[in-house]
Amino acid sequence: MVNEVNILNVNEGSATDVDVREPKMKAKKVNVYYGDNHALRDIDLDINPNEVTALIGPSGCGKSTFLRCLNRMNDTIDICRVEGNILLDNQNINDKKIDVVQLRARVGMVFQKPNPFPKSIYDNIAYGPRIHGIANSKEELDEIVHSSLKKAGLWNEVHDRLDASGTSLSGGQQQRLCIARTIAIEPEVILMDEPCSALDPIATAIIEELIEDLKNRYAIVIVTHSMQQAARISQKTAFFHLGKLMEVGDTTTIFTNPTHEKTKDYITGRYG
Amino acid sequence: MPHSHIVSSFDDDLNQLRGKIVEMAELVAKQFSDAEQALTKKDLKLATLVRETDLVVDQYEQDIEKSAIELIAIRSPLADDLREIISAIKISNALERIGDYAKNLSKRVVVLNETDNFEANTSVITQMIEIVNMMNQDVIEAYTNKASEKAISVWTRDIVVDNLYESLFRELLTYMMENPEYITPATHLLFVAKNIERAGDHLTNIAELIYYIVEGVPLEMVRPKGDNSSETNVEFTG
Repeated sequence: MVNEVNILNVNEGSATDVDVREPKMKAKKVNVYYGDNHALRDIDLDINPNEVTALIGPSGCGKSTFLRCLNRMNDTIDICRVEGNILLDNQNINDKKIDVVQLRARVGMVFQKPNPFPKSIYDNIAYGPRIHGIANSKEELDEIVHSSLKKAGLWNEVHDRLDASGTSLSGGQQQRLCIARTIAIEPEVILMDEPCSALDPIATAIIEELIEDLKNRYAIVIVTHSMQQAARISQKTAFFHLGKLMEVGDTTTIFTNPTHEKTKDYITGRYG
Repeated sequence: MPHSHIVSSFDDDLNQLRGKIVEMAELVAKQFSDAEQALTKKDLKLATLVRETDLVVDQYEQDIEKSAIELIAIRSPLADDLREIISAIKISNALERIGDYAKNLSKRVVVLNETDNFEANTSVITQMIEIVNMMNQDVIEAYTNKASEKAISVWTRDIVVDNLYESLFRELLTYMMENPEYITPATHLLFVAKNIERAGDHLTNIAELIYYIVEGVPLEMVRPKGDNSSETNVEFTG
């Protein structure tokens, strides 16, 4: 147990202890209640720019709830109450002055099941820039659609059929279309809720390659049930258990030498 | 003790792998005690047996590597499981080397037996082998019980073997200076001792691996070293 003290310092609490970058988002003492159910307890977590943060944990541990807090998706649930501070560039996103539509333009989300609009590929991507007034001309809009498709790695597969329906694409292509739709409005943070769970290994590998590339421009937070995926694509991993953030640290350490018994039991597939 | 895996066949596979490591370590220890018997009792048949059994030791290494690779491919192990499986490969490599030293030692028993003008003092050799085999036993215990303190105790004990080697080295040196005819047999005996000393080094490597399996971080203390024979200079007068 010679080095235990050191490990605890690195792995426990906020990663700001060892990171000099200013986090893009900060969660401070976040508590979430669904009616009487205390779903998240005192969560402190920093989301760094140009980094993939993976949220892992068993079903019902609160990781998706936490993800949804980051762009106020929980607002739509009547019985849901969020306490504590969630800061985006040091601004509280739950502040009454914050326009939630603007917030979600800055903090985009990709869901588990690809959910393209029943519209053309072009319109799926042009939709966001249109309602946010990002493009000033047809040419600009074209440019946004093209570059978003390129950034999402879908351009080569669809450039000759942009007016085909988004729903006509394969599952993996639909998910990349959703990612293209998210990045078309130039977000700063991308939230992904199990983006590959409905995809085959090839489509998964393509999305993972894309995430690797996207992290150079955005802060990415991903919820995943695949330990291997979290290990492959993230730089920081946070383990949630029964509504608590049990352990957060750099991904390599979490997967080779986690501090908490609960983390170890979960990632190695043991009864805890 | 850690909790069981939800997939119980993973535990079965891991236990099988552990069992093979322990069997291999026990076999290697027997190789050394047999080699020691062969040396002190001039038992050439036993010396041959030790050399032949090396093939079995090699087979263990291959089996362990194969099982470990399959476990990695099939179970995608993480954390302590991953550390243990990777270490199994390295431990079996180290044990194979130790087995080689026992084999080499036995080869020299045959040569030493052919020299009749030099009555070898084998008590230091016997002592060295006893200590190395005790270290081996403790390594097995540390490995089986995941006891990092026990592993450290093995790791620090290697200096005793080093010191014995160094003292024997100096003793044999005086023999050789006294009578050039002793040079051949004394050199063989020196190699015998060196083989045992190297086996001790590999056991300390295994102890380090056990520490890593249990604690998740490398053992970062500085190991005491006793063998200074490389710094010894002998003046030639002729």
